[in-house]
Amino acid sequence: MLTSSPISSLPKPLSLIAEVTHRCPLHCLYCSNPLELKRAEDELPTADWKRVFEQAASLGILHLHLTGGEPLARKDLAELIDTAHRAGLYVNMITSGVGLTRERLGELVEAGLEHLQLSFQDLDETTANHIAGTRAHAIKLALVPVLKEFPLAFTVNLVVHRMNLDRLESFIGLAEELEPDRLEIAHVQYYGWALKNRSLLMPTQEQVDRSLPVIEAAKARLKGKIHLESVFPDYFGSFPKACVGGWGRQMMLIDPTGQALPCHSAAIIPGLRFDKVQDHDLGWIWESSAAFQRFRGDSWMPETCLACPRKEKDFGGCRCQAFLLTGDAQAIDPVCRYSPDHHLLTELRLPSDDVLPIWRG
Amino acid sequence: MQLNDTPRLAPGCRLHPTESVLLIPEGALNLRGPAREILQQLDGKRTVEDVVQELLKQYAGAPADDIRKDVVDLLERMQGHGVVRA
Ligand code: SF4
Ligand code: SF4
Repeated sequence: MLTSSPISSLPKPLSLIAEVTHRCPLHCLYCSNPLELKRAEDELPTADWKRVFEQAASLGILHLHLTGGEPLARKDLAELIDTAHRAGLYVNMITSGVGLTRERLGELVEAGLEHLQLSFQDLDETTANHIAGTRAHAIKLALVPVLKEFPLAFTVNLVVHRMNLDRLESFIGLAEELEPDRLEIAHVQYYGWALKNRSLLMPTQEQVDRSLPVIEAAKARLKGKIHLESVFPDYFGSFPKACVGGWGRQMMLIDPTGQALPCHSAAIIPGLRFDKVQDHDLGWIWESSAAFQRFRGDSWMPETCLACPRKEKDFGGCRCQAFLLTGDAQAIDPVCRYSPDHHLLTELRLPSDDVLPIWRG
Repeated sequence: MQLNDTPRLAPGCRLHPTESVLLIPEGALNLRGPAREILQQLDGKRTVEDVVQELLKQYAGAPADDIRKDVVDLLERMQGHGVVRA
């Protein structure tokens, strides 16, 4: 992967996440969108998105990730992809596949879409639909052979949590039959709606322990055919991950209304003000927006982190997680074993059974 | 990776038009030394040995066995990342 510069220098952004809409036909239990979804009438118009993509390319950004909500809800999607592709960006799209016809897919690929990621909620139709809050499973399965007709890289993303982690082996088996180019196994990230459902979704320690050899075996078996990547759940580690590659170090996210965020859940942190792409160009936002400066580098860090050599690797962990779990966005990420709040994680991992699911709106 | 294999870049992987970077789904790999020149030649038809011969033309005087080893090492590493298919 690209090597990162030392924590003290101003880094160059590499990827842009464009949440082009919050509209979505699904209502996943684990959706990490904010609880206050942005409305269609507040969405950034076509011309603004196009300008943003051009600015992104000239800033040296390599990847565009179109996401949402469901990006297909935007009628101008092909036009947006065309602009981004011409500007030189590598265009990825994360989609539920609902409503994607052969004809529309053809238009998107023609416009320059290079990689599509489809998530599966479970291998069994009933549970998958239960989790997605919609009957989307069969639609996704039917879409796969259509995807293969196009020159497009295709990733299957398996979202795992307590309700399906025990069946990981057959879940991977289903994914193998779909023959994607890449397979991602991702644990739910506990933000937004997923956080509301945390006690329902959080796997047990035993489940996580059992899943590791299953993943290793699948990696070995699929080598050279399907590239498998898995993301270990943060809550079970002793050290945090470099959340979004470090605050204000690699990526920018633009929400449906044009606000620029350093991370997809940054809006939960009180006191942060986000600048809008309607008011400033992306280069200015990257360098000068207060929200991007807030936790960039190491000057904000608590002393334990300041003195810790791991700060060059994890950049102090996840600020949103620190805030959600301790109430202080500047605290040591409680995933870290040096955090005085590390015990909170142990308590969170204890499953509680009498909870009801909350689907996103 | 054998010398008569005909590798190609995996779907969704392409070289950056100007920089020494391989763009892959969800990320990018920094390319060092002649890595870009090697990957540029992969088309699913040329063999690994063809690639070696081409490099030998460019680096006249370099020992062929060293180049062969470097090319195979690089391609196997890239295969491990899932970005090159034999
Ligand atoms: S997680 Fe589910 S509900 Fe949320 S945006 Fe993605 S597909 Fe839609
Ligand atoms: S003390 Fe801070 S920098 Fe060190 S590992 Fe923990 S979170 Fe990372």
